[in-house]
Amino acid sequence: MAKVELKINGVQHSYDVEDRTLLVNLIRDHAQLTGTHVGCDTSQCGACTVHMNGVAVKSCTVLAGQADGAEITTIEGMAKNGKLHPVQQAFTECHALQCGFCTPGMIMAVSGFLKDNPKPTDEEIYHGLEGNICRCTGYINIVKAVKQAAKTMSK
Amino acid sequence: MHTFSYVKAKSLKEAGDMLAAHADAKLLAGGMTLIPTMKARLAQPSHLIDIAGIAELSGIDVKNGRLTIGAATRHVEVAKSAVVKKAIPTLAYLASQIGDPQVRNRGTIGGSLANNDPAADYPSAALSLNATIVTNKREIAADDFFQGIFTTALGAGEMIVKIVFPIPAKAAYEKFPHPASGFAMAGSFVSQDGKAVRVAITGAGPGVFRWKDAEAALGKKLAAASVENLNVDATDLNEDMHGTKEYRANLAKVMTKRAVAKLAGTAATSKSSGK
Amino acid sequence: MDQHHHSQLFKVGNAQVSRFEDMRLITGNGKYSSDWNAPDQLHACFLRSDRAHARIVSINYDKVSQVKGVVGVYIGADAQAAGYLRSASFLPPTGKGGMKARVPARPCLAIGKVRFVGDPVAMVIAESHLAAQDACELIDVVYEDLPAIVDPEEALKPGAPQLHDDVPGNCPVEAECGNEAATMEAIAKAAHVTKITVDCTRVTASPMEPRAALIEYKAESDSYVVHTPSQGVNMTRKQFATYSNLGEEKFRVEIQDVGGGFGQRSTVYPEYVSMMMAAKALQRPIKWVSTRTECFLTDTHGRANLITATLALDKNAQFTGMRIDWITDQGAYLSPTGPAGHIRNATTCMNGVYKIPALYGHFKVALTSTGWVAAYRGAGRPDIAYAIERAVDAAALELKMDPADLRRRNYVPLNEYPYKSATGSTIEIADLPGLSAKALSLADWPGFEARRAASAKKGKLRGIGMSAVIEPTGAGTYPRDEIEVSVGADGIVTLHTVSHSQGQGHETSFAMVTANALGIPAERVKVRQGDADRSVTMIGNHSGGSRTMVGAGTVCHIAANKLIDAGKSLAAEDLGVEPSQVNYSKGEFSSPHSKQKVTLAQVAAKKKLSVVGEGTFTSTYPNGCHITEVEIDPETGVTDIASYLSVDDCGHIVSHTIVEGQMHGAVVQGLGQVFGEHIVYDKDTGQMITGSFSDYIMPRAGQLKSIQMEEYTTLSKLGPLGIKGMGESGCTASLPALVNAVCNALGVRHLDMPLTPSKVWATIQQTKAQQAKH
Repeated sequence: MAKVELKINGVQHSYDVEDRTLLVNLIRDHAQLTGTHVGCDTSQCGACTVHMNGVAVKSCTVLAGQADGAEITTIEGMAKNGKLHPVQQAFTECHALQCGFCTPGMIMAVSGFLKDNPKPTDEEIYHGLEGNICRCTGYINIVKAVKQAAKTMSK
Repeated sequence: MHTFSYVKAKSLKEAGDMLAAHADAKLLAGGMTLIPTMKARLAQPSHLIDIAGIAELSGIDVKNGRLTIGAATRHVEVAKSAVVKKAIPTLAYLASQIGDPQVRNRGTIGGSLANNDPAADYPSAALSLNATIVTNKREIAADDFFQGIFTTALGAGEMIVKIVFPIPAKAAYEKFPHPASGFAMAGSFVSQDGKAVRVAITGAGPGVFRWKDAEAALGKKLAAASVENLNVDATDLNEDMHGTKEYRANLAKVMTKRAVAKLAGTAATSKSSGK
Repeated sequence: MDQHHHSQLFKVGNAQVSRFEDMRLITGNGKYSSDWNAPDQLHACFLRSDRAHARIVSINYDKVSQVKGVVGVYIGADAQAAGYLRSASFLPPTGKGGMKARVPARPCLAIGKVRFVGDPVAMVIAESHLAAQDACELIDVVYEDLPAIVDPEEALKPGAPQLHDDVPGNCPVEAECGNEAATMEAIAKAAHVTKITVDCTRVTASPMEPRAALIEYKAESDSYVVHTPSQGVNMTRKQFATYSNLGEEKFRVEIQDVGGGFGQRSTVYPEYVSMMMAAKALQRPIKWVSTRTECFLTDTHGRANLITATLALDKNAQFTGMRIDWITDQGAYLSPTGPAGHIRNATTCMNGVYKIPALYGHFKVALTSTGWVAAYRGAGRPDIAYAIERAVDAAALELKMDPADLRRRNYVPLNEYPYKSATGSTIEIADLPGLSAKALSLADWPGFEARRAASAKKGKLRGIGMSAVIEPTGAGTYPRDEIEVSVGADGIVTLHTVSHSQGQGHETSFAMVTANALGIPAERVKVRQGDADRSVTMIGNHSGGSRTMVGAGTVCHIAANKLIDAGKSLAAEDLGVEPSQVNYSKGEFSSPHSKQKVTLAQVAAKKKLSVVGEGTFTSTYPNGCHITEVEIDPETGVTDIASYLSVDDCGHIVSHTIVEGQMHGAVVQGLGQVFGEHIVYDKDTGQMITGSFSDYIMPRAGQLKSIQMEEYTTLSKLGPLGIKGMGESGCTASLPALVNAVCNALGVRHLDMPLTPSKVWATIQQTKAQQAKH
């Protein structure tokens, strides 16, 4: 068993978990934050993306033990004081989600790469979305949402 | 995943001792290959020794015309490093093309080289640039390090500490990503130092290899046209539903031509894409 | 649509959203099947066949007790004892010439034999998922291998290995439609005959939410509560009942969010029924979450149709007849929607958008040792459209005609609608001559050669392709669609529906229709779907076949008007007038004979204000013309989509935002199949080669950069709103348009999907080699 102490969305948690526990299972099953999803087993789909110490990671490919001492932000921690994060706002305004299952991972990935590249070109947006799969939207409106969020955030 | 014990090593020595103590232990840095493999129950290590926090394994610096990168340095750090961008900008570019942003935020150069996936990006850079792989036991030249599919010269208990890249006069990397996995269907890393040109091809074959005919021709004249009439021998290349041997041989050549064009400063800016 | 409409935003709290459901989905508050948990739940894990076809000699699970937390193991013998042996099938009982359909058994856990890689052999129940997984590995199954049979044509040949004893020749049924003699005569007398065989490849729906279920047994009522992704609770309950031989009243289906469907959620799977056994025996809730690998292996696949079209043309290039020979590969078992949808939908629109006096279709259903196949976005509609539109392009190439011109000569003219097709359909209304003229003009079809030349200068091969398609949507399997509308004392209007959104945004579009009829803001209408208590009493179809806005969506309008009438009766008392003297406008009842006014809320506060509206609908026929241009890099074989135009007729549009999103998604799903998606099995071993997102090529961001979307509307008169269903039409149109464009660029008559860079490059090499010879 491993003792994992970490902050999730600003709240300190401590769990005793099996060594083979994945960060995503800790978040979903132990912290009961089910907004982070699991869409594949091979680190392709990105539905499980969260921020670990400020950078986007696939929480299905991180052991809970590796996140000991880390600060985690999940989709539930994105809206602050009832105000949506600009990426969340852009996703709904641009109709960048349909079933919504990939959406939390998309929002976390996008908010992650916009930190590095606040004014991405279209090609850079495609490159930035390489770690996330959406089945519903055809991505056209997701790309639109990224541009809108970038615009809002650079204001 | 099967059960295992997760341990964090605080120093190189401690990691080495743990590795020596447990025959079925494996090192964990980024875990971008190892964790999915274990999730598929295809690997069953007794211990995972987390080396990500070991200070001796991190750091990027340039000295005496050589760029040194610690084994636990993440792809994103190489991609963004001002030092790398100045010394070997192509290496930073290569790192920016590995996997996807989330993978680059976790995966490490040492992990990539030690795993030696035949379609990984870094082995082509190490081989083309004639890098030296420094382990906790010795120094290994890239020409000796890569020994075919998922196989390297690393012995039991041996771990990569850092990679030393001689800084070339010019280098360029072009990759045709697999449309599903993002790994290289074929990637060509071309570097020139003095008269010597080295061309390393990844993705196309069962392991990274040097395309010596191209090296000779490019050594005479560094221009895409020099390889126009050459062909990569397709006999031993990979073949699957995504591409025949002949197709991969073609891609290796096309990527080489594009890398050379880029290196010669005449490249179109568009990225090759498997999509 | 892109050009003309700004998306409408709604206020939720202090946020602006384009759909009501978005608020919870973008904040991580959605509730998908794997998010349901019950106190004291146990976890299931399935041991699956690792071979394609084998006899089970023995199963030994003695060792599972070594794993702490294991509480039960179930195998085929348990399925036998429970009688969970046959999944539902909608296949009509008789086929060609009165042939009796033979639906094979599908025990929920394999009995005696496994028939595809992934067939569940044993189910382990444990206190944790990891323990169940560990224990599965300790089960020893001894198999006696039998030959795999992957190719449906091979499976139908005499002497092929037999999968099921009760399905001779691996053929559950043969079916036919139209008039064979008349069609063969047209072909015999034709000035030109084009014959083409196309493989509408096997793909997988791959909704992003993996399958999952939580099954609870309620001892007091000997019944089950089910939480699992569904396209509609009634269909799910009916299939559970059929599989388990229990009454539908024994099942409640409680679900909220469904992470994509595309037809894959139209099946009650054997895993769920297996879990019923454990839930009852152990008296504890059972949870199971599929891995993506299991999804690839065991979710229903789509398409998998090998179609030969034989098109007869007279000397004026008028179509005089067409024969369709169709082999549908259904995998190892028949799924509920299985071959029925493919045959029915292909029959209904076998003439496409053309006037074809003689039609004949012959369908052979084949079983192979592969995953089962069900409806997938279009279910036969994209397949038949693909075959027809490829045949038309091939005919144009053979006759050296402009494919747009050949189509123009053969469209059913507007004045011939409703058009009675040679396979018996009555196609209500479409105007392809007008619609395609608009598309050709917007796409600058005549100017293409200049663009081709410009691309050639850059070293690229440019091609153009069009498709003109039509499809039936709306007809359901239930006698009617019902919507309950109630008003609360707070004035909030609540709708109940048994159709279930899997991402289509019903909470928004249903609210918009209702709000529009009631003259109130959409924010005041709340939509509840899949509500377990009401599903027991409400009648209505699932969301499938693009039918929901045609059916349940239209009924929202009917129900709202019924609510107004009911409200008038109640308001009449308050106003002291006769109901016939009450007027209603924007949430208020008034009368010229009274000075008072009463609101919906005031009426509802006094007396129950709730009605059930209903409607029955036959098929509407959305149609469209898509034109795309591609540019191919001959060095790598990579195809870039240079432009994509859609002109669609989907009748009256309720939400442009949602329709646009559906069109984007559907076009790109078609594009996925054209350029990469393909479920492939090893021919010898029957092992799946494409069992993960590392091998199965999903469409990715940037592959299609934009769609120019335009409308050309004719209204359906089948419902009061004029809606035609449209969720699938983008897929139906994009398959042929894109393949036509690539074939045009390469100058070849046909190339089967997927058009991977490797295949395109190899085709270019072949063409070069042929040209060098001449």
